Amino acid sequence: MAVRHQYENSNDIGVFANLTNAYCLTAVGGSENFYSVFQNELSNDIPVVKTSIAGTRLVGRMTVGNKNGVLLPNSTTDQEALHIRNSLPDEVLVQRVDERLSALGNCIACNDYVALIHPDLDEETEEIVSDVLGVEVFRQTIAGNILVGSYCAFSNQGGIVHPHTKIEDLDELSALLQVPLVAGTVNRGSDVISAGLFANDWTAFCGLDTTSTELQVVENIFKLKSAQSSALVTNLRASLVDVLV
Amino acid sequence: MAAMQYNFKKITHVPTAKDFIDVVLSRTQRQTPTVVHRGYAITRIRAFYMRKVKFTQTSWNEKLTRILEDFPRVDDIHPFYSDLLNVLYDKDHYKLALGQLNTAKNIIDKIAKDYVKLLKYGDSLYRCKQLKRAALGRMCTIMKKHAASLAYLEQVRQHMSRLPSIDPNTRTILVCGYPNVGKSSFMNKVTRADVEVQPYAFTTKSIYVGHTDYKYLRWQVLDTPGILDRPLEERNTIEMQSITAMAHLRAVVLYIVDASEQCGFTIKQQADLFHSIKPLFSNKPLVIAINKVDQRRLEDLKPEDAALVEGMRAATRGPAALQLGDDEELPCMSTLSEEGVMDVKRVCCDKLLAARVEQKLASRRAGEVLNRLHVAMPKPRDSRSRPAVIPHSVAINRAKKASGELPPMITEKMLQEENGGAGVYSADLRKNYLLDDDDWKYDIVPEIYNGKNVSDFIDPEIEEKLAELEREEEELEAAWEREKAEEEMEAESDMDEDDKELLKRLRSKKATMIAEHRRKKSAGNNAANMPRTADPERRATTTRMKQSLGEMGIDASLAVKRARERSASRVGRKRERSTAAMDDAEDMDAEDGEGEKKRAHSSKSRSVSVARRTARADKSPGSGLRNDDERMRAQKLADKAQRKANKRAKIGEADRQIITKMPKHLFSGKRGIGKTDRR
Repeated sequence: MAVRHQYENSNDIGVFANLTNAYCLTAVGGSENFYSVFQNELSNDIPVVKTSIAGTRLVGRMTVGNKNGVLLPNSTTDQEALHIRNSLPDEVLVQRVDERLSALGNCIACNDYVALIHPDLDEETEEIVSDVLGVEVFRQTIAGNILVGSYCAFSNQGGIVHPHTKIEDLDELSALLQVPLVAGTVNRGSDVISAGLFANDWTAFCGLDTTSTELQVVENIFKLKSAQSSALVTNLRASLVDVLV
Repeated sequence: MAAMQYNFKKITHVPTAKDFIDVVLSRTQRQTPTVVHRGYAITRIRAFYMRKVKFTQTSWNEKLTRILEDFPRVDDIHPFYSDLLNVLYDKDHYKLALGQLNTAKNIIDKIAKDYVKLLKYGDSLYRCKQLKRAALGRMCTIMKKHAASLAYLEQVRQHMSRLPSIDPNTRTILVCGYPNVGKSSFMNKVTRADVEVQPYAFTTKSIYVGHTDYKYLRWQVLDTPGILDRPLEERNTIEMQSITAMAHLRAVVLYIVDASEQCGFTIKQQADLFHSIKPLFSNKPLVIAINKVDQRRLEDLKPEDAALVEGMRAATRGPAALQLGDDEELPCMSTLSEEGVMDVKRVCCDKLLAARVEQKLASRRAGEVLNRLHVAMPKPRDSRSRPAVIPHSVAINRAKKASGELPPMITEKMLQEENGGAGVYSADLRKNYLLDDDDWKYDIVPEIYNGKNVSDFIDPEIEEKLAELEREEEELEAAWEREKAEEEMEAESDMDEDDKELLKRLRSKKATMIAEHRRKKSAGNNAANMPRTADPERRATTTRMKQSLGEMGIDASLAVKRARERSASRVGRKRERSTAAMDDAEDMDAEDGEGEKKRAHSSKSRSVSVARRTARADKSPGSGLRNDDERMRAQKLADKAQRKANKRAKIGEADRQIITKMPKHLFSGKRGIGKTDRR
């Protein structure tokens, strides 16, 4: 099931939180509203951790992680790193990365098996990503955008990429990631996918502006509904072509 | 064109000729001045009537233009509508009527122009008035002549405003067939148009439009009047509307066949009609549906009738129509028992949609859209499996939640509301720490301890790593030292003792100079940058020259002698017998104050002392002036040039400064009469 949510009147919830199959990091806000939604949805199954990164609230954009570990930018303070270390289970590695491109969430996109990274990232960072997160690493762009972390969101079950991604690119990315992919939008047409959406294998969160159509696509591609409804897309295809073209 | 909406309800009313005249004339009466007098100046009287003529002409022009613009131009609209207008109102008649109005408009304009010209020569009120009457009268006569056109256009307008608003470009199902085969009944079943259905032929006399939904799309269903099997020329207006629709709309054509023959036409007749209008269906998806199967099933048909039906179906698959994998059963329905009606609709819609999609996919725009409808499924690249990672607790907790077993969670938000709300409540960040011992949660871990950052020592192997690093560094340093020593050995090898001594001296001298420079720079940080001649230390004297050249091992006596000869204090001691020397001698006399020959010119007053006088005019050699006369003349010219600048309080010709243009003290305050001059 996908949940619509916002952070202090901002629809870009992906900026303020990071969700994986083993934990969820959220920003500290003026009130507990943002955190409580995740607490309610997730805290029975995985730890939900409130933290700041380098004193900012941009938790989702600064960090990247999966069930095996979490990477923090080098501007993370010692106190924050300690707090995160203490809050996460021991199986999850916490590692600070000395990378010049410090918004790791924008430069790296990953699930539990594969990661796409920004083409200009250091060799060293690439190694850390593959060691700490235990993933295969590919240097890629998405629809010509080098910020791979910003323009796609994927779990182990499926993913959404930038709406201008060509069919060939979609197929190529899908072969790399080994998950089904669609080109789509969130937040009423926003192409910055991971700012408006984050998902793990059993739940997803979208910005409050996300339309029900967009939500439907999210639920289908991330396989969040029990009923198999990918047939819907094939049924609708003709109607959509007739209306859109 | 595609986005254009065909709605003829907005055409304005076309009045009858009589009403039209009344409207225009009363408007003129109301909106132009009405009082004129014989005693007025003739120009005024002329203007009064000219205005009336012109105003009337403008009113006619406006109203006629409005009519001409409102009616659609037959050649500009969609061919379906232009043919429909032709069928219903006769295109020639329609064009003629509009053309007549256009001519009338032009004639009225011309009349007004002529009479305004005549009015310029009107010499009395009476004559002007008669001219105006004649002008307005002629305009009205013209419009009276076109009374028939106006009446016709009004009728057309009324009829057009009642035409259904059919969008020729959208998805359309066109229902056609013989009269009374059940076209309107089908329409009533699939849409909410509520068309009149009666058991006689030609109940439907015009095209009706209804809308239905299928596959999340809006479909337009057009119910056409029935048609008979006869040549095109013999068809009546009602039938022609159907033909127009069939010919021009990009729709799926649903040809309904009455199997029971209750409509009064045999299946043979219906098949003949189908074959005769078949050319109209080329390039359109086509569906043949059997109706009234509650009266006679398809199986109960006579063999020859069944063959005819099969013949029609064959035509739908032939080259005349688009072949779209149509091998399904013949759709049968009964609009009475509603059996199969939805099947017919489904078949029609699917066929049309398939045709439209095929057409659109071939277009250029398709590429932009298709990627959004594409779900890329991964091609396996290795044998690894990558399963989803969902904790077991998720399913368990979901089941519990569904059954209501899960106790309600106390969220941070609830705690916040209990403890004073946002801004007051401070959340405990440590309570969810996952530590070996829960008692450690609130332990204070110092950030800095004994001047060291604790985090730097978290690494358990830090001592070994440090030792390793230090060893590496020492090795590097030793290697570097060795290298340096070797380099030095090589560099010094090819110098003998003298060279070394010289090098040493050079270096020490350089060092002294730099040190001296630095000393001066720091000592005289704020001092003015003195010219060399004013600086006793750097001044060029023969002593210093001798000394410095001596240091270099050069005999300086010749150079000193030469410098002395050229020194400034010896200027003037030229060759003994030259005339210039004589002049100089005389000058010197004058300076002594005796035998004043000429006063040195200057703009200064005479009170200037004689001793300074000569200093005013520079007599230095190289000034380009031959003698005193010339010098003084030059000075005079210079002073004269200066005078103008002086008057304007300028320093010289380069002085562009503009001081306050309106000095406050000269312009402020009250100024009584006659006091301006004083200021």
